[in-house]
Amino acid sequence: MTFRWDILYRSLPYLWEGAQMTIKLTTIAVGAGFMIGTLLGMARICQYKPLRILAAIYVDFIRGTPLLVQIFLVYMGLPQLLSFPMPRLTAALLALSLNSGAYVAEIVRAGIQSIDPGQTEAALSLGCSNAQVMRYIVLPQAFKRIIPPLGNEFIAMLKDSSLVSVIALEELVRRANIVITRTYRPFEIWLGVAFMYLVMTLAISRLVAYMERRLSVDV
Amino acid sequence: MFKIHDLHKHFGSLHVLKGITCSIAKGQVVVIIGPSGSGKSTFLRCLNLLEKPTGGTIYVNGAEITDPKTDIRKVREDVGMVFQRFNLFPHMTALENVAFAPLRVRQLSKHEAHERALDLLVKVGLGDKASSYPDQLSGGQQQRVAIARALAMRPKAMLFDEPTSSLDPEMIGEVLDVMQALAEEGMTMVVVTHEMGFAREVGDLVLFMDDGIIMEQAPPEIMFSCPSNERTQAFLSKIL
Repeated sequence: MTFRWDILYRSLPYLWEGAQMTIKLTTIAVGAGFMIGTLLGMARICQYKPLRILAAIYVDFIRGTPLLVQIFLVYMGLPQLLSFPMPRLTAALLALSLNSGAYVAEIVRAGIQSIDPGQTEAALSLGCSNAQVMRYIVLPQAFKRIIPPLGNEFIAMLKDSSLVSVIALEELVRRANIVITRTYRPFEIWLGVAFMYLVMTLAISRLVAYMERRLSVDV
Repeated sequence: MFKIHDLHKHFGSLHVLKGITCSIAKGQVVVIIGPSGSGKSTFLRCLNLLEKPTGGTIYVNGAEITDPKTDIRKVREDVGMVFQRFNLFPHMTALENVAFAPLRVRQLSKHEAHERALDLLVKVGLGDKASSYPDQLSGGQQQRVAIARALAMRPKAMLFDEPTSSLDPEMIGEVLDVMQALAEEGMTMVVVTHEMGFAREVGDLVLFMDDGIIMEQAPPEIMFSCPSNERTQAFLSKIL
């Protein structure tokens, strides 16, 4: 049994382009997910019950169904419903962002609830509105606390983004499959791909650890 | 300044305030004493609506804050509060803590807000700590910053909720000194405390609360020398 590492080596530029797409997908999805999740996380604990219930239903639906099904629903279901074609990249970004938003919502909610109610009381006693309390007092403290779980979400999303290969979007896994159909070298290629994912996730966790240190020095 | 009539507060089935009626005049220093669980803090927190009363009326400066139509934010701008656990904003320096409300609520310019904040920090003896974060300050220093923060809105009255109860004994004095200076300037103050020395020296009126009502109210000379109520006598004999 011989290993053909040269095939992996020659495929690296092609795979690297796929990895770049993976990074792009993940970054945009978590970025959009962060915005969706912040609004949703606040909605989960706001004083208007209908909004609370809607947010809870959204979070339950996303967390209670497979991401793969959500991708199919967005890529194939939505075009049928709206009768216009859905580009692969749009579908992938939409599905991943909506998914990430639900997980981030729970992280944000927990972050907000971890802030001492005394902080809110102090700000209210000074004459702040509820919105000012959130913006200047609660959220800045909460965001600092949720950096580690957000980092985890980033890593999870990086790995889960491989699922969009099923709609033929050429990210890392899809490209690996294409290489393998040409070369018949699954072991070398998949091992190489696994290693590329590992490098990316390790880089993220180092970055998160760095940000955590930076911010804790500030206060 | 404050007019309270038949104030009630329930927490679920727990009846914490059972009809409190009293009024507090401008410039008066009222000290509320009583055993824990008697409703002192709840009463104080009703005065700026951090607790929502379940019955009765409260007037602050002529505005009925128990009326849902009243803009409570406007009233809170004129009523400062100091908390047992300081509740300084940990992500801001001492100066930013004090400048926060003038900047965001009063919408002063950054320059004006910082100037006002620095003046107040100097006033509470912490001019040199302006750029320190709360966790770099001692408890007594934090509480003095918290007093400066409340004063930064130039309130007409100040509420103190056990301001020295979570301080080490050697730091209590520095906080009480600041409060005494404030009282001497004519600030209207409502103080929940266990510091009987402060009540006796600085207070104009002492309220003894027990079991959700005001059992007795009298000037400190009378309250501490010849209390008329049995429960007051029992409480005072235990702590004096």
